[in-house]
Amino acid sequence: MQQSIVRMLDVTKRIGGRTLIDRLSLDVPNGEVFGFLGPNGAGKTTTIRMMVGLMSITSGDILIDGHSIAKDFEKAIRHVGAIVENPEMYKYLTGYENLIHFARMIPGITAHRVKEVVALVGLEARIHDKVKTYSLGMRQRLGVAQAILHKPKLLILDEPTNGLDPAGIRELRDYLRRLAKNEGVAVFVSSHLLSEMELMCDRVAIIQNGRLIDVRTVHQSKAAAEANAKILVEVDNRQGAAEVLAAMGQQTAEDADGYIVIHGDKERAAEINAALVNAGIKVYGIRAEVKSLEDQFLEMTGGERIG
Amino acid sequence: MVDFLNLVRNENMKMFRAPRLFVMLGIVIGLIFVVSIIWFSYDYGSLTSDMWEVTLVETSVLFWVVTIFAVIAASGTVAEEFSSGTIKLLLIRPWSRSKILMSKYIASLLFALFMTLVFLLAALLINWILFDLIGNAQSSAGSGFGSALVGGGEESDAALITRYYLLTFLNTVMTVTISFMLSTIFRSNVLAIAMALFIEIVLNNLLQLLQLFDKKWIDYLIFVHLNLTKYAGGNVSATDGMTLGFSLSVLAVYYVVFIALTWYIFNKRDVAS
Ligand SMILES: Nc1ncnc2c1ncn2[C@@H]1O[C@H](COP(=O)(O)OP(=O)(O)OP(=O)(O)O)[C@@H](O)[C@H]1O
Ligand SMILES: [Mg+2]
Repeated sequence: MQQSIVRMLDVTKRIGGRTLIDRLSLDVPNGEVFGFLGPNGAGKTTTIRMMVGLMSITSGDILIDGHSIAKDFEKAIRHVGAIVENPEMYKYLTGYENLIHFARMIPGITAHRVKEVVALVGLEARIHDKVKTYSLGMRQRLGVAQAILHKPKLLILDEPTNGLDPAGIRELRDYLRRLAKNEGVAVFVSSHLLSEMELMCDRVAIIQNGRLIDVRTVHQSKAAAEANAKILVEVDNRQGAAEVLAAMGQQTAEDADGYIVIHGDKERAAEINAALVNAGIKVYGIRAEVKSLEDQFLEMTGGERIG
Repeated sequence: MVDFLNLVRNENMKMFRAPRLFVMLGIVIGLIFVVSIIWFSYDYGSLTSDMWEVTLVETSVLFWVVTIFAVIAASGTVAEEFSSGTIKLLLIRPWSRSKILMSKYIASLLFALFMTLVFLLAALLINWILFDLIGNAQSSAGSGFGSALVGGGEESDAALITRYYLLTFLNTVMTVTISFMLSTIFRSNVLAIAMALFIEIVLNNLLQLLQLFDKKWIDYLIFVHLNLTKYAGGNVSATDGMTLGFSLSVLAVYYVVFIALTWYIFNKRDVAS
């Protein structure tokens, strides 16, 4: 049986009568890249704060590597590396001094390891400069560096791509996937950048208003992908086209922009095109569209409304 | 244990940081230097003062600078972590909050001790050069010169200064503890420093007037006991007749309460900023 690195059991957080997190239960197995998705104010940061013991849990419990974060903090946090919200560092120290500072707090981190991590996040050139001279992306990299110094089993990152340039995002993504695959590190990453999550995560949990809405696997099964695929066709004669398609046994609909909408994948699009052209109907445009996780997410949460 | 010392090392690295440290050192040493030079130029020719006397007087009028710097460092150590957000990175290490706070408190006391020693050594050195080397004052640590200043007995000047500094340092420890507590409660540097100074300077002096009223409870107010140098001359204060033992007992009770409150709040608090 695969062991869970994170187990959330009916986690609830209330502050002053408001329920910020409502009976959240989740399991993250070792070595999984787990996305935590939600619109602004959904409770992602609040959940992460409870996971790392910065906030108390009103009821329920969070087990990390089998240890309760509330009752057995030092053991539970030992194998966790994290960035909570922005990667705030000591601005008056150099990047290197910041890393030494955190390295000293956990036994067994050698100077060699610090160097290795600096190279890994690509900060060698600036590591001996004061952090106040860093750009946001450089701080983000330093944040990642302090989180992985002690080779944690669980890496918790709150919107880590915030402030990174495209190359940086790609590097981080590849690095996280590699960590998970090669070293069995579980990564718990929050974001509202949905396209990001699709590229990076094995599974994604979607929360809204502090409630878990859904947990789904990112790489969908073929059947599920087909169910979410559609074809949009633009023609001169919609009436005639509908008849041709009906003759093919194809159900159709029409969207607001006057496109004919058909469920099906790319192969089906080619067949439909041929049939329409044969029937003498002008096809101005045809395209296959897969409903992205983003569309599904927006559908589920009803857009980016806050609250 | 070695691991815990690492936490203290970290806090020292942050507390004894340039350029703040150099500014503080510059001000402390500069002030002593200026006062000594002025004193020396008035005194030159007739030379009635020696290095011990000057050092003692300078301590009694200038030492508040050291207290202020110790307060700034102590309240910064907690409040700055909150205002900069670094507290989040600090608390997610395998250390209990109590131990993290302890490392900060120890570093605060070390900083206060360091500044106190800098003050003492700078004053002795500067005054030795001016009054003994240049002015030929022939001071001797056994002259008993300063004793008259604080109403003491037949102690030597060196012994007197040692005693004076011990008492002054205790006062500084209390003030540092108060500002440490305030910055933990309010998580605000400015507020903690302002309140600590208010207590130290304003209340401390105003409330001593309270002693004019002959009420029993007044004797148990902390402010009456913060200035321990009134015992520099002996264990019974010449001004109000209280004893050092009584003052220390009252301060000890306050100290325990302050420390307990500080630790309780730091352990309890949700970190959300
Ligand atoms: N200390 C607090 N006291 C009261 N309410 C809070 C506190 N911190 C957060 N909240 C509320 O909790 C809800 C969730 O906030 P949280 O920061 O967890 O959202 P989030 O999912 O991280 O959003 P974002 O994508 O904007 O970072 C919000 O409605 C917020 O107003
Ligand atoms: Mg957030």
